[in-house]
Amino acid sequence: MAERLKPVDVVTIGVGLTGSLMALELAKTGLKVVGIERGAPRFTVPDFQSPAIHDELRFSVRKGMMQDNVKEAVTFRNSSDETALPIRRWGSFLPGTGLGGSFVHWNGQSFRFQAADFIYKTHIEQRYGKKILDPELTIQDWGVTYDELEPHFDRFEYLCGVSGKAGNIKGAIQPGGNPFEAPRAREYPTPPMKEPYFGALFRKGAASLGYHPYPQPSANLSQPYVNPEGLALQSCVFCGFCERYACEHFAKASPQTVILPALLKNPNYELRTNCQVLRINLDNTRKKATGVTYADATGREFEQPADLVLITAFPLNNVRLLLLSGIGKPYDPKTGEGVVGRNYCYQTTGGATVFMDESINVNPFMASGANGTMIDDFGGDNFDHGPHGFIGGQYVGAIMTGGRPIEFHPTPPGTPNWGLKWKQAVARHYNHTVLLQQHGTSTASRLNYLDLDPTYKDAWGLPLLRMTFDFPENDIRMSQYIADKVVEIGRAMGGKAVIRGGTKRPYTTTVYQSTHNAGGAAMGDDPRTSVVNRYLQCWDVPNVFSVGASAFPQNGAYNYSVTIGALTYWALDAIKNRYLKAPGPLVRI
Amino acid sequence: MSVGRIALNLKAVGLIVGMSIMWYALSVAQADDRPSDIARGAAIAAQGVAPGAPACAQCHAYSGASDGSGAFPRIAGQPDYYLAKQLRDYASGVRTNAVMTPIAKALSSEDAADVAAYYANVNAPFLPLKNAKPMLVKRGEQLAKVGDAAKDLQSCNNCHGPGGAGEPPAIPYLGGQYARYTAFQLTMWKRGFRKNSPDSMADIAKRLDDQEIAAVAAYFQQVNASALAATHPKE
Repeated sequence: MAERLKPVDVVTIGVGLTGSLMALELAKTGLKVVGIERGAPRFTVPDFQSPAIHDELRFSVRKGMMQDNVKEAVTFRNSSDETALPIRRWGSFLPGTGLGGSFVHWNGQSFRFQAADFIYKTHIEQRYGKKILDPELTIQDWGVTYDELEPHFDRFEYLCGVSGKAGNIKGAIQPGGNPFEAPRAREYPTPPMKEPYFGALFRKGAASLGYHPYPQPSANLSQPYVNPEGLALQSCVFCGFCERYACEHFAKASPQTVILPALLKNPNYELRTNCQVLRINLDNTRKKATGVTYADATGREFEQPADLVLITAFPLNNVRLLLLSGIGKPYDPKTGEGVVGRNYCYQTTGGATVFMDESINVNPFMASGANGTMIDDFGGDNFDHGPHGFIGGQYVGAIMTGGRPIEFHPTPPGTPNWGLKWKQAVARHYNHTVLLQQHGTSTASRLNYLDLDPTYKDAWGLPLLRMTFDFPENDIRMSQYIADKVVEIGRAMGGKAVIRGGTKRPYTTTVYQSTHNAGGAAMGDDPRTSVVNRYLQCWDVPNVFSVGASAFPQNGAYNYSVTIGALTYWALDAIKNRYLKAPGPLVRI
Repeated sequence: MSVGRIALNLKAVGLIVGMSIMWYALSVAQADDRPSDIARGAAIAAQGVAPGAPACAQCHAYSGASDGSGAFPRIAGQPDYYLAKQLRDYASGVRTNAVMTPIAKALSSEDAADVAAYYANVNAPFLPLKNAKPMLVKRGEQLAKVGDAAKDLQSCNNCHGPGGAGEPPAIPYLGGQYARYTAFQLTMWKRGFRKNSPDSMADIAKRLDDQEIAAVAAYFQQVNASALAATHPKE
């Protein structure tokens, strides 16, 4: 029997990016907020200090910062006529756990989605007509526009101190920036990172073909910065350990650097770590949440009553908690009805490997997680899709996040996988190889969805989340079209050999691609196709908000963290200015 | 300087000339791909360059151990890139020092590269800190290895390597450096006088109070001595 605790105003399920940001703003209003985090507490000092933090075996190979999939895995299959099996070793995506969540081990790649992304269905149908859409695609509008989100993008970038070069300030194209970006109100908070040599090679090659190279915006900072919370960030030292690692230098924006020190000082806030939320409790009308039930590290169960419940977990776990709690109608792929788990999307990745002459020293170890040069000429809807018969796009760039010794061994095709010849090839190519990234849209399809697994359970006896996913043919055509363009860039960079990339079917979970799992609890204007309204409030249970990338109706071309931050501020505005004054549905149909 | 000392130095020059053949291919100056000449660097260290640059050895000793007072840093075994950059910065005025600025100005870029290569490749014994206060050293060790959560201060060793051994070519070693020199430099950063390194050092120094500067400086001077004592027990 769960012990019932004293009621509080707000509980956040998960204390990562969205959970800490929500709590920071709501605790400031005087509300009592409890943050429940399944993982351990951890801080830059002492937990992220060297040499332990650069342990590649522990963090990259054994995935030391990720959700413990012995306790809690995800089952996977490519299509609904297969049997899903648990992913017992993370590969394709890496859900973080612990205080700060995945926003600790991210790369700091800090983009805004484009204006057309938020009105995707309207935009695509207007420009190309419905005929461009394959029948299984279920794209839709977000219910919020870029213009509405712009001040929140701005606020989030200034919270993180993002280093970059604006390409479009209030409609005026800025030299040196990305001419395809949506208009922003002002420059980035800090100047762009120094361009690495592989970035300069890419810039030269891409510009020679008429494309528009620009420096990648980075939340690993180019110079010291103090954010509006009074928290200081230091400048990146290019150690090359960002992705899968925490920053030891206070140089990467994370909850530990830009949010938590302010939040933990607030007496209205209480953090509980090593506590696993099992479900959101509903009253007998099932239209009101009464709080959450969680188990602490010893397995003791507690009921935490709260007036407002914010689901702020990793996107996959937001969807799972909604399903476990019976909030919203689960999606049924046979009928197409139901919403929870619908429009699960991912990210199309891949890219070319460019083998350079031995006289070109790339020095890939001198790197940072978001320190490259890229183009958006093939991003989103930045080019005419009419002749091609597909939608979506990818950015392309030379973005090498570190030449770490266990993971980085580029060898040309035909090289043996072991032995003397392999060693010789690694020694020859390690310092003379540039990886080019393709990173792009993932289109929603009625065939891809999340639900509860009928067989496999977690350590607390609850069903695991089941993922049914493969890339739609549309996305393969898109990525393969761009793959040809990337080969041309690789050759223009002076590549001796350029190995073509691009996304392929079937999707596999064993090879790392991206941790941008999105959708499954979409936002929108229509309760028949969305789980939450435009303010991320559950249609069915108005005192529950599901915050984060689970709300994306489909995934855009860019790394999504900054868009998640902007959506969080957007939802916070609605909660602070409207919901708290009159609790109830913020949108009435 | 005594006659005996000069004789010893000349013997050392001979030794260095021999070894420099081996190093010749390895040691390449960063700026212009001209291989640096360690034997020539040794001569500059011993004799200086006329006019304006007296022998480095007068203050830094031929061994690079300096005089141990802490007024002059230990430079034996510091990366040649780092040493040459300091000389460039003294010459350009980015780093200022009444003694070093005119000397650095009197050195050509080849002189600087050669003498940096010489000192980068010499070994010298580490002098332990006399009268080190155990509590002070302990606090320094904590700052060096872990940092300080309350001050948002990361560990020194993140960049300077375990035991402050340095991360060549750009980041100097701290282990075995004289405490008075380290403390003085941290104070210079803290007060805004030293500006010739990434923003990170000034930012870090400003977070340290005088006691912490003394602690971390004391720790790094004795860290090599204690490592030596552990690996080479008293005979």
